[in-house]
Amino acid sequence: MLRYTWKRILTGILSLFVLVTVTFFLVRLIPGSPFRQGGVSEQVVETIEQEYGLNEPVLTQYFSYIGNVLRGDLGVSYQDPATRVTEIIARAWPVTASIGITALAVSVLLGTGLGILRAVTKRRFVRELISAGGMLAAGIPGFAAAILLLLVFSVKLKWLPASGLLSPAHYILPVTALSLYPAAMIARLVGNTLDSELQKDYVLFARAKGIGKWQIIFTHALKNAYLPVLNYIGPASASLLTGSFVIESIFTIPGLGREFVGSITNRDYTLILGLTVFMGAVVIIVNLLTDLLCAWLDPQTRRAYKKAGDSAK
Amino acid sequence: MSVLDVRNLSVQYPTENGAAEIVKDISFKVEKGEIAGLVGESGSGKSTAMLAVMGLLGERASVRYDQITVSGEAPVPGKNVAMIFQDSLSCLNPSVKIGRQIMETVRSRRKCSRKEAASRSQELLEMAGIRNPELRMRQYPFELSGGMRQRVVLAIALACEPELIIADEPTTALDALVQAQILQLFKRIVRETGTSMLMVSHDMGVTAALCSRVYVMHGGRIEESGTAEDIFYSPSEEYTKLLLRDARGGSLSGMKKEDSLAGQADKCRAEDEPILKMEHVTKIFDASEGIRDLSLEIRSGEILALVGESGSGKTTAARILTGMLTEDEGTVYYHGKVLDRRKRMELFEGRVQMVFQDPYASLNPCLTVREALAEALEAAACRKSVKTDRDRMMQARTDEKIDEMLRMTGLTPEDADRYPRDFSGGQRQRIGIARALIVEPEILVCDEALSSLDATTREQILELIFQIQRKIGFACLFISHDMHVVRRISDRIGVMYGGHIVETGKTKKICADPWHPYTKQLIEAVPEPDPIRAAKIKAAPVKDSADINPSGCAFAGRCGYAMECCGSEIPEDYAFEGREIFCFLYSDRHSGRRSSDYRMTSQI
Repeated sequence: MLRYTWKRILTGILSLFVLVTVTFFLVRLIPGSPFRQGGVSEQVVETIEQEYGLNEPVLTQYFSYIGNVLRGDLGVSYQDPATRVTEIIARAWPVTASIGITALAVSVLLGTGLGILRAVTKRRFVRELISAGGMLAAGIPGFAAAILLLLVFSVKLKWLPASGLLSPAHYILPVTALSLYPAAMIARLVGNTLDSELQKDYVLFARAKGIGKWQIIFTHALKNAYLPVLNYIGPASASLLTGSFVIESIFTIPGLGREFVGSITNRDYTLILGLTVFMGAVVIIVNLLTDLLCAWLDPQTRRAYKKAGDSAK
Repeated sequence: MSVLDVRNLSVQYPTENGAAEIVKDISFKVEKGEIAGLVGESGSGKSTAMLAVMGLLGERASVRYDQITVSGEAPVPGKNVAMIFQDSLSCLNPSVKIGRQIMETVRSRRKCSRKEAASRSQELLEMAGIRNPELRMRQYPFELSGGMRQRVVLAIALACEPELIIADEPTTALDALVQAQILQLFKRIVRETGTSMLMVSHDMGVTAALCSRVYVMHGGRIEESGTAEDIFYSPSEEYTKLLLRDARGGSLSGMKKEDSLAGQADKCRAEDEPILKMEHVTKIFDASEGIRDLSLEIRSGEILALVGESGSGKTTAARILTGMLTEDEGTVYYHGKVLDRRKRMELFEGRVQMVFQDPYASLNPCLTVREALAEALEAAACRKSVKTDRDRMMQARTDEKIDEMLRMTGLTPEDADRYPRDFSGGQRQRIGIARALIVEPEILVCDEALSSLDATTREQILELIFQIQRKIGFACLFISHDMHVVRRISDRIGVMYGGHIVETGKTKKICADPWHPYTKQLIEAVPEPDPIRAAKIKAAPVKDSADINPSGCAFAGRCGYAMECCGSEIPEDYAFEGREIFCFLYSDRHSGRRSSDYRMTSQI
């Protein structure tokens, strides 16, 4: 288990490295130059390129970039040389993360609640309703749901603000749009795994020893049912934390997604690379944590972990 | 007033063609402080009836009854009735610690603080015969042995402070020695707490050992009821007599083998060298698992049984013989030639076949019986034949062979096109046997092939294996923890303990006069279907950990006859009259130097 952890961390670092490399060369393949816009004279462009080291061989650029990344320096934005890429991330990520974490919390709570309800209810109507609603929520593409919400709640009904993130009310629409899909998936997963857990003998035995229905669900069945759900929540939270281009664009939220879209249209090499490295790191770290958490939650692997730790001492 | 009084209980399940009545209008009673028994083969509706009494049946079942009362009140699970199930592993929550599972029961029964609940739980665990309860409470179910888990389950049931405990096949998953311990525990608990118990079992021996009143159930009805003496000594119903006959095991028709086969087997022995032989083989997985310095041989045409409790290395030995595992040390011979593992695998395509314990899991649910058997044939033949024009002829021959095999294993050719789910457990095991035998193996390995079947079905399959073996004459390695079964089917027995063989010899001799202390325990632990004799079953003292001392005899820690040398030296192999025994009691040191014609007798 300890070896497994190290292996996972090392493969994480390796995939981050591959990610940086591939993105670095892909970015260079985008036609055009970041500075050749709006009729700037050739001489100026050359001076600027020299300034940023863009006239050197690509490989040299690559190695100096890798060196900088290792030092935690992601360079300055070409579009706005006064700000460093790290500053842009520090500005935009909290915005994205605040929506992402809220959406994650909403989808976990809503999804788990509905999943439990679906597994427990004796009314067939409720079951079918939750299943059908889940399918609908998972089926509608994010941008369609976002536009629909925008149209209904802010344009027609004028209940909620349409753009920006000034007050808690501003959060409602983007968070709803973001959490529809994960909530539906979680509800479905929780419902299914809980259904099969409730068939198991230990539930029957718990009933035979006089434990109440809700106690059985929360202290017994859910504990075993949640492992596969966690395996979904991990990657889902990674994608929520790195932001959605579409949702952020529709609701004009100054988050990572919007910065990313902007950086690509501007061919802002350093910003594209910096954001990719950052998002990649977030995804890899969150997935690593999920895997370790899942392993830890399973008592059998946890005990193996402890044993290995003891013998290592 | 009876503790449990059930009158006219019926349970129906809706099916496609009308309602199926699983339990048909049964009535029974359990008196205060007694252990009553409900026996019958699987599918007779015992468990359904019990769940109906507990009120734990699913919503699909429709339950009708005139009366179900526990001391005059309606039964409330966890309050006046508690239930114990067969599989202690699956009925404890795998991801919740033992302590919490028992404490929540204590606290749901009566309001008390965590601390009080914890100390009460410890008390209960101790009462259920668990030493060091504090440690156990911090452990997860998978960290305990089967016997210990069943004790935990009993402790949980006791935490409900019930007037009645319903135990549904509580010892079926355990080996004989542990079963004997658990049965004694039940007796003690009933005596000490005054709780009544209703014991559901398919095992007449277990029922005889515990119960004072017995109900025999068959096809959803109670066929016969009465005191244990009545049922066991003067049964009136045909069905009860049949159950008893199966349990006593006198009727294996092949038992006539003495005349026809004993002679033949002796002849074989004289001219044949063993088909498979392993010498000084060691394979260690863990400090306590694996086999150590094991020598074993299978001769052609014989049934060799390996007995021993779970974890004693029976399956490991079989897997090394069949090439599924590589030995750490030692050699394996096939017809006198040394074989390494890779060669073994190649050579054994088709020559060694296995029948597995779980007939449900060992058949692919997507293949019809014909497909499964044809696949086995193909796999065995694929080395020899490249595809030829005669494929169609081959096909016809394959079909013919499949039909013949099905008939031989007691199925019909029409069964070939059905899927495994259409068959019962016993029928599936027949299919498993057919699949193994269709390639005409030299050796058939049955790994606990009967363990998951109920008594009557087990009897039929046992007889089937025996009959076919006598007819075709393959060698058979029969692995089982059930001395009762082994005694009747095998020619020779190897008794295993802790990765060692402790005794080998002819079955009849070993069963009639076990020499090794462990063999003796093993044979004595099997309860017989006779209330007077079964009441006297002995249970070996409980060992929390079966720690095996690697520098001495494996059994020394549990042996009542252990001497000083048993802890420090590994006993050699002492051979007398075709029997081999690994025990210092039979050494020169203990029993004195003997002349070659000395007749060894049991030393214990």
